[in-house]
Amino acid sequence: MSTQLTVEQKMTKTNKKNPLTLWYVFLVILLALGAVALAARVNGGLGTTNLTSSMPWGAWVSFYIYFVGMSAGAFLLSSLIHVFDMKHLRKVGRDATLVAIISMILALCFILLDLGRMDRFWHALWYGNITSVLAYEVRFYGIYIVLLLTELYFSLRHDLILQAKGDGLKAKIARLLKLGSKDATEEGRQKDWRMLKILGSIGIPIAIFGVHGGTGLLFAVVKAQPYWNTALFPVIFVVSALVSGTALVTVIYIIRNWATGELVEQSLVKSLAGWMILFLVVDVGLQVFEILVGLYGLEHQEIATLFTMFTSRFSWSYWGVQLVIGVLIPILLYINSRTRNSTKGMLVAAIAVVIGILGVRFNIVIPALTVPVLPGLPTGYYFPTLVEGGTSLGVMGLGLLIYTVSARYLPMDTKANDIT
Amino acid sequence: MKKLTRRELLRNNFISAAHAAEKDETSKEPKWAMVIDLAKCIGCDTCTVACKSENRTPPGVTYNVVLTEEKGNYPNVKATQVPRPCMQCDRPPCAQVCPVKATYKMTNGITAIDYDRCIGCRYCIVACPYGARYFDFGGTYEQEMLAYDEVQAPEYGTQRGKRGSKNSPTSVTRKCHFCYHRLLRDEEPACVEVCLGDARYFGDLSNPNSIVSKLAKSPRAFYLKEEMGTHPRVIYLK
Repeated sequence: MSTQLTVEQKMTKTNKKNPLTLWYVFLVILLALGAVALAARVNGGLGTTNLTSSMPWGAWVSFYIYFVGMSAGAFLLSSLIHVFDMKHLRKVGRDATLVAIISMILALCFILLDLGRMDRFWHALWYGNITSVLAYEVRFYGIYIVLLLTELYFSLRHDLILQAKGDGLKAKIARLLKLGSKDATEEGRQKDWRMLKILGSIGIPIAIFGVHGGTGLLFAVVKAQPYWNTALFPVIFVVSALVSGTALVTVIYIIRNWATGELVEQSLVKSLAGWMILFLVVDVGLQVFEILVGLYGLEHQEIATLFTMFTSRFSWSYWGVQLVIGVLIPILLYINSRTRNSTKGMLVAAIAVVIGILGVRFNIVIPALTVPVLPGLPTGYYFPTLVEGGTSLGVMGLGLLIYTVSARYLPMDTKANDIT
Repeated sequence: MKKLTRRELLRNNFISAAHAAEKDETSKEPKWAMVIDLAKCIGCDTCTVACKSENRTPPGVTYNVVLTEEKGNYPNVKATQVPRPCMQCDRPPCAQVCPVKATYKMTNGITAIDYDRCIGCRYCIVACPYGARYFDFGGTYEQEMLAYDEVQAPEYGTQRGKRGSKNSPTSVTRKCHFCYHRLLRDEEPACVEVCLGDARYFGDLSNPNSIVSKLAKSPRAFYLKEEMGTHPRVIYLK
């Protein structure tokens, strides 16, 4: 009963209407923008993009790998929490799982937008090719989403049953989502934790090797693009996924608790930020190896790709976004003990990382394709069109909307007494 | 009598169609190959033009291009021309990565695309080491060329009606197929037929007496990006 009371109390606290209404207006604008751009995209096909045959992949593919990474990272974080019993991080477990699901949905939206024949998306499941990494990936994504949903169910089940008592929209939703489960005992909850441990253990290899390592492999197997064609490439993908996933979960944890007027646990934020910085340092180290091996290889196309990244007119996305915002700022903020111990400081660091990894993703896709594969072929040039930008904003708006609604109606908060 | 499965039946039909292109009905199925003599190429781009008109490719889709590579610094500059059709690799990276097997190796050596299966993910374009694959963004020459949209080339022997109709190969990947529809009616690929300097040869590489087989053994013979391990069926002569 006491739990239910606190839920009610929180509801009244959340009902500070203005900021929330403003937030919904913002989301509706994003979605409307996305809808207009989507209509243009559906009518005009890929002719509405700035993609060409020499630059066949662009913003949508970059966002796709960005969100796959975000999802795999957030999921790995939640699995680490469940599997290795990192009790002090349990509070963000649900957020991490929810973020993983939503990010994966967004990733699939982006890849759907990117298909020349969206109407044939089902071909990707109906037909297959045993030598195609992409064919395996599509199936891994399916398994992965089912696994994530199951995991979210078991982590919410107990609180859904509590929330289902009483009336109101929240209770109704909970009654629907608890799928008939009635066991609200402590034993049942222990069973859930065991289940989460098992699901996490199955999920970790799927996320590492299947979902995100596999997405990296998708690039790494392309021998025609020497910049991608290394065995380290999928590894970097996984590590940078951990970086961005941890960062996003940190951001969401802080903002959600601010929005609901809950206390943000400073020690938890610091711990998350610590993991984020650790992953970030490993990521940067591996990238240095990757670039050095490429440069020493003296292979023309690889060097041209690296110099496109370092010196082209879009090199700001490398030096500015990827290195200064994505690496330098978060590390400096973490080194400085004043910002390290402040929630705001670590929030800025995590947001910087989330933005920085976007630079990483664009710099994986675009520079490699800019360089012609044979001398005499046209050099690629790419900047997204309004349609590409608009649809991307729309898809991200969709993600934010799903999150906001879920956070509002699902028992996202793990009560203090749950952490035993 | 052994019962034929539907797949075998289709394949047999396919093979006999390809056989029709060969004079000798009893011989094995041809394995098509092309030889391009760079010493004879004058860089006139006639092959490119012939290819575009034969296959009625839209803007941005050019199955054959002539690449010009400039070597040296002014005034000691030398330009070399390298015509580049699809290499029809025997180990095609494009077919390796295609998630739906829309691109595949035909038994006659040609790497084909099933326009009705392709989902337009463009992974194959990224994976091709020769830049030989093009995405059909749906463009048209209707403004420059009267009635361009009225009919499309019968690629792979399939009539596809007007451009922009349901059957047109728009929003999918396209590429050179050695003018397969011409081979079916016993004609050379368009680029081979029009070449001014007679720099292109076309024939059956499985027949040791064919001109392409003999030229392929020439000390001048080389492949583009041989290190890719793709085993191209387009052989260049230095």
